[in-house]
Amino acid sequence: MSAYLRSLGRRFFQRAKIDNELAEELRAHLELRRAALERSGLNAAEAERQARIEFGSTERFKAECREELGGNWIDNVIQDVRFSARTLRKSPAFFAVAVLTLALGIGATLSAFSVVNAVLLRPFGFSNPQTLLWIYSQRIDNPRTNFSLPEYCDYRDQNISFEGLGAIASYNPSISDSGEPERVQGVRITANTFAILGLRPLLGRTLIPADDKNGAEPVAMISYGLWSRRYAKNPDVIGGSVNLNGESRQIVGILPGSFALPNLDTDVVIPMQPESDPRRNSRNSVNFLRMVGRLKPHVTALQAHAELDSIRQNLHRQYPDVYTGKIGLTMLPLTEEIVDNVRAVLLSILCAAGALLLIGCTNLAGISLSRAGARQRELAVRTALGATRRQLARLLLVESAIIAVVGGSLGVFVEIFGRRALLRLVPTDLPRIQTFAIDWKVFAFASVMTLIAALACGLAPAWLLSRTDLRDAHVSGGRGSAGGGMQSRLRTWLVAGQIALALVLLANAGLLFRSFVRVSSEQPGFDSANVLTIRFSLPQVTYTDRASIVQFYEKLQPRLAALPGIQSAGLVSILPLAPKSISFIHFTRPDRPPSKPEDTPSTNYRIVSPDYFRAMGIPLLGGRYFSEEDDGDRPPVAIVSSVLAKNHFPDRSPIGQRVMIDDNDAEPRAVEIVGIVGAVKQTNLETPARPDLYLPLRQAHKDGVPFLRNSTYWVLRTSPNIPTLEPQLRGEIHHVDPGVAVGDVRPMADVMKAALASRRFSLLLIGSFAAAALFLAAAGLYAVISYGIQQRTREIGVRLALGATRGRILGMIFKEGAVLLTAGVAAGLAIALMLAKLVANQMYGVSEHDPFSFAIVSLILGIVSLVACWIASRRALNVDPVTALRCE
Amino acid sequence: MSDESAELLPGTLDLLILKAVSLGPLHGYAVLRRIEQISGGKLLIEQGALYPALFRLVRQGLLKTEWGTSENNRRAKFYEMTARGRKRLREETNWWNQSVAAVTSALRARPQEI
Repeated sequence: MSAYLRSLGRRFFQRAKIDNELAEELRAHLELRRAALERSGLNAAEAERQARIEFGSTERFKAECREELGGNWIDNVIQDVRFSARTLRKSPAFFAVAVLTLALGIGATLSAFSVVNAVLLRPFGFSNPQTLLWIYSQRIDNPRTNFSLPEYCDYRDQNISFEGLGAIASYNPSISDSGEPERVQGVRITANTFAILGLRPLLGRTLIPADDKNGAEPVAMISYGLWSRRYAKNPDVIGGSVNLNGESRQIVGILPGSFALPNLDTDVVIPMQPESDPRRNSRNSVNFLRMVGRLKPHVTALQAHAELDSIRQNLHRQYPDVYTGKIGLTMLPLTEEIVDNVRAVLLSILCAAGALLLIGCTNLAGISLSRAGARQRELAVRTALGATRRQLARLLLVESAIIAVVGGSLGVFVEIFGRRALLRLVPTDLPRIQTFAIDWKVFAFASVMTLIAALACGLAPAWLLSRTDLRDAHVSGGRGSAGGGMQSRLRTWLVAGQIALALVLLANAGLLFRSFVRVSSEQPGFDSANVLTIRFSLPQVTYTDRASIVQFYEKLQPRLAALPGIQSAGLVSILPLAPKSISFIHFTRPDRPPSKPEDTPSTNYRIVSPDYFRAMGIPLLGGRYFSEEDDGDRPPVAIVSSVLAKNHFPDRSPIGQRVMIDDNDAEPRAVEIVGIVGAVKQTNLETPARPDLYLPLRQAHKDGVPFLRNSTYWVLRTSPNIPTLEPQLRGEIHHVDPGVAVGDVRPMADVMKAALASRRFSLLLIGSFAAAALFLAAAGLYAVISYGIQQRTREIGVRLALGATRGRILGMIFKEGAVLLTAGVAAGLAIALMLAKLVANQMYGVSEHDPFSFAIVSLILGIVSLVACWIASRRALNVDPVTALRCE
Repeated sequence: MSDESAELLPGTLDLLILKAVSLGPLHGYAVLRRIEQISGGKLLIEQGALYPALFRLVRQGLLKTEWGTSENNRRAKFYEMTARGRKRLREETNWWNQSVAAVTSALRARPQEI
């Protein structure tokens, strides 16, 4: 074998050398023979002649020697490639269509795959990710809620199932150094977490347990995204300092781009320092932590869950009033939780792209079949000249391989552009998408796609060839042969398959479209037109108490309200539909205490300024709005939403009632309800509005100050059609306090759009794939019908000559198309209904079996197909019987 | 060539070449001479046909080649036996002997022996 490979290699890479040596060897032989003959008495010329005669044809033996070196098939392939290239050059239209179809199909599939690869498949950088669990506290109404700090410490210290437990809290500081202050989204994390995750930094070091010690040097890690965006990937930032919320920290490391945590952005990561936290021993303190743990070897997730749950029950017995509402733990594999929301969407996009490619390939297979049919005569001649069937099949396969390779290479280019377009469309909440590279998996995928395409396009005609008697074709001039029947049957089935696939895609797009329409027509509970929003965060150092924040508000409010075109301006702690912001508290009606502690109701919790409701267009349904007089010296008041009023005050008006709210680290406190406002969809448009409870800014509890400092929005209602106010707004804020980090200034309409971004993304993608599929299927149908007509020109001529009306001929052709269409649609509906379960979780307000959507898309497909049939059949109408009969 | 010389049986050329080279490295012309010599000049080989056979044996790893100098001081390619070639020669020789014995005994058969 190795000798064979060596000789093959030599033959290939040292061609000239081999030829020279061969010539020299044979010359040496002739020379020796000549000398021998001369010695035996012949004269020089005679000896030369005799030697040559005895040797035979040197050229022939040289060729035989070369053949003996092996690797002839390489020459054959080269020959086939040359020949096929020539054939393809002769039909540039076919070549262009084929290559473009493949390039688009492969490019689309590849784009989808590279997103899937970046988000789902690429390693996260954790060692042994399968033993990492992400842990939430489970409540009756929400399986994914947070733990308090003392609770975390108990789990951490008491469990024996985990090698370590880390805790993570969201942390959204303003960052300032030499550049413009900026709000970033990050986490505070117990410093043992990186050892638990087994994560290596891209540069520098990760956090180490020493960073959690009391009095440790303040440090921070930054994400790859922030590093490239703000620091232009300058490695010198390591060791430099950064100002987070007014506190100077040393940057010790850069996180790798593949790193992500579930539902948390990680632009900055700082140590949590749990032991020195004031909440360390405050049992009643706020729930703000999620946990991550690595299972010890041979401990299963179920065992670990049982163990943590028994710890929870012990704590529950020990502190019954603290564990209100915490009914269990939710433990999920870490990596699955990171991609949980996006997996189904991405996979369905990949499948859709794959289906599109499949339709494209089927189309090409159909076209190649026709070409093979048209070339039967040529192929018959080749057979007659001695080509074997295998050689002919190889020729056809090589031809489709050329198309596939060219198409596939172009597909890679399409992917590069497609990816850019895709990235522009991608909703920003796709984890790990910012760092996005083509790796070997994408290339392997592209190669496999290309191979499949080549086989799909080449196999059908090659198979056909193996079933056809080519001599027959030779005799009959390539018409009406046995292969013709087989070929048109095969093509017919291919087209029916195409129609079926197109219907599946269309049905999916239809369902997504209906869902999208439903979601976007949902009333959010506020009026988003002509509303501007600004997010900012206040430096920790200067804004230590409520008074300082109120002061900031009092300075800024009149300045904003005085800007031209501003009708009202208000402040809110969390904007409706703002991503990844959740804030809720528990409350009780003193006259109706919950029977069990875990039944304590919860509500969304917002701190607002008096004008917020007016600015946001949230209607007052009863009672009054807050006023500037509702301050710390007056009895505490609250406004509730209609949902809270309906759910919890079914018996009477809530106005004038008191509720106990648990918004601080000590005891629940009483507030009086003074107003009812409309319900607002706070987290997304899909889920029904939950109860809301609003407190006035001037009465916010001191424990709420860090929360306010971290996240505050200003909402401004403007007159319609005013030019952008952004520079003035930034100017005013800067004027009041230059240390405040101003985030994005966004119209509320954009915030609503962003809430729909993920839906819009999949709708756009699947929709355009479906449109392309529709077009391709129609083209396929057109091709098969018009090919059939072409084949039957004579038959049509005879029928016309015998008195058939053109209407009858048309009917005949349409019947053919209708059979195909019916078969395709029926199969497509069956497949689509079978697959409906897969898209069920992307539906909103429509069933995944929605008959209306299925009917509409079938109708669209039917109309487009019939139009394709009609265009194709016009040719049949133009058949002149005389010409048709004469064309023999 | 003399008149008694015989056409070569198909398939035997490779065996003869192996035998010839097994006696020591040779260049192409010398292989030819050696076969003539050891067969007593009774086997007729088309001279050019020797070379494809040599190439084939090299590809199969039975012979290896080296460039050297011939007796008339020209550069020439020398063929040399490999271990695999030696093994193959043994096998082929056995096979040949058995076949010849079998065919010979078949041809000697007389009617009364059946």
